[in-house]
Amino acid sequence: MERAQPELPQEKSVLHVAIRSLAKAYGLLWALREVTLELKPGDCVALLGPNGAGKTTLLKLLCGLVHPTSGAIELDGENLLGDPSRLRSLIGFLSPSEHFYENLTVAENLRFFVSLYGKRESTAEVTRILETVALDSRANEYVGSLSSGMKCRLAIAKWLLLQPKLLLLDEPYGMLDGSGVDLLEAYLRGLAGSGGIVLMASHHVSRVLALCNRALILHRGKLIFDEPKQEPWLTFQRAFGEFLPRGEQWSS
Amino acid sequence: MELLRQASWLIWKDLLLEIRRRESLVTMFFFGTLLLFVFHFAFEMPRERAPEMAPGLLWLAFLFTGTLGLTQLFQPERENHCLDALLLSPMDRAALYLAKVFFNLVLMLVVELVVLPLFWVLFNLDSWRLLPAIFMVAFLGTLGFCVLGTLFSAVTMRARARELLLPLILFPLMIPVILATIRTMEVILRSGDASEALDWLRLLLGFDVIFLTAGFLVFEWVIEA
Repeated sequence: MERAQPELPQEKSVLHVAIRSLAKAYGLLWALREVTLELKPGDCVALLGPNGAGKTTLLKLLCGLVHPTSGAIELDGENLLGDPSRLRSLIGFLSPSEHFYENLTVAENLRFFVSLYGKRESTAEVTRILETVALDSRANEYVGSLSSGMKCRLAIAKWLLLQPKLLLLDEPYGMLDGSGVDLLEAYLRGLAGSGGIVLMASHHVSRVLALCNRALILHRGKLIFDEPKQEPWLTFQRAFGEFLPRGEQWSS
Repeated sequence: MELLRQASWLIWKDLLLEIRRRESLVTMFFFGTLLLFVFHFAFEMPRERAPEMAPGLLWLAFLFTGTLGLTQLFQPERENHCLDALLLSPMDRAALYLAKVFFNLVLMLVVELVVLPLFWVLFNLDSWRLLPAIFMVAFLGTLGFCVLGTLFSAVTMRARARELLLPLILFPLMIPVILATIRTMEVILRSGDASEALDWLRLLLGFDVIFLTAGFLVFEWVIEA
C-alpha cells in the first residue's frame, strides 16, 4: 500500500539563528569553545566531527536542554535564554534517546506531548500522521512494545505534528530501516524547502552530505570548517580526511 | 489558565501510568500497613496515653510511606530521557511542579484513608468521631510534606544515592510541618475539639503556603539545573 508523504508546513517558515562565541564547560573540560555561526532559512546543515567533538553539546545548547557557560544563541534576534518558552516551541530535537513514556500508547504519547505545546490535534489528525510514518496499526499499543526503529518513526511523527522551524537531529540514521530513512529525508527536504532549518549530527557522512547544502566540522569543541556544499569539494576533503578510518578517502 | 491546562495533562499522564504500572501506590500501601503492624506489636498504648503517642506513630508511618513515594515520583521521567522531552517543550516548569505535588498528594491521601482507620482499630481507640478532624489535619500535614518533598525529589533526581539523600535533606526541613501537625493532632485528641488547636493549625497552614510558594518559584531553576 502506498504511504502518505510527510506533509510540509503550511506557512513559509522563516527563522534566523545566530550563535555568538558559544562555549560550554563541564567542570574543567571545555566541550565547546567560542563557536560562532549563523543558520539561515532553508539551511540543511551537516554537523560532523569525531566522537567527543562537541556535536551533541552544540545540539543540546541550541534546544535549551543545556545552558551555555558563555556566549549567546539568538533566534530572530531574541536570546534563547531570555524568553525560552516562546522560542522553545520553534525548536525540535530528534535524538537517539527515545523520549516517550513506555506505558502510554503511541497515540496517547503523541496527544500528551502535542498538548504541552499548546496545540490540540484531533484524533483524525493523529491517525493521519501515524499513517504517514506507517504506525497507524500500532496506535493503541504501548510504546514499550515498539522496536527502536518504530520509536524513531514515532519521534518523526511527533515533529511532523508540531512543525518546528528549527529541527536538530542527533544520529538519526542509526535505528531506521530503508523506508524510515526515505521518510525522514523526505521530511527534512520538505522542512528546509519551506524555509525551515535542519542541523543534523551524524557519522553517516556520505548520506548526510547527499541531503545537506552546508557542512560544519567540529574538532575538540572548536568549529574548524564551515562551508556550503560544492563540487568538487577539496577543502572539505582535506578538513575531514583525518577523521576517516585509516586508508579510507571521502569522495563526493 | 495555560498553566492549569498543562498541569492537568501532566496529572492525567501520571495517573494513567500509575494505574497501569501500579508501582507507587501498592508499595506505599503495603509499607504503611506493615509499619502499623510493627508499631502494634512494638508499643503498648493505653487509651489515656493515645493523645501523646498516636500522632507521633501515625506521622512516622506517613513520613516513611511518603518518602517511599517521593523516591519514585520522577521515575517515569528518568526512563527514556522523558524529562528532556518535557524540558524541550514550551511547558511552564511550574506546571510540572503542581502536577507532581497533586499526584503525590493523591497517592498519600489514598494510603492515609486506609491507614488512619486501621490505626484506630489496631490500637483499639474509641474516639472515632474525631477521625474526620484528624484526617483534615493529616491532609494539611501531607500537603506540606508533598510541596517540600516534590521540590527535593527533583533536587536529588539525578543523584546516584537519591534514596539515601532525599530523607537526609528533607526530614530536617520538614520539622516545622511535622511539629505543627503532631501538636494539632495531640490537642484534638486530648480536648476532643478542633477549635482548641487553631494556633497550631494556622502555623501549619502558614508553612504549607510558604513552602508551596517557594517550591513554585524555584522549581524551574531546580529542574533545569
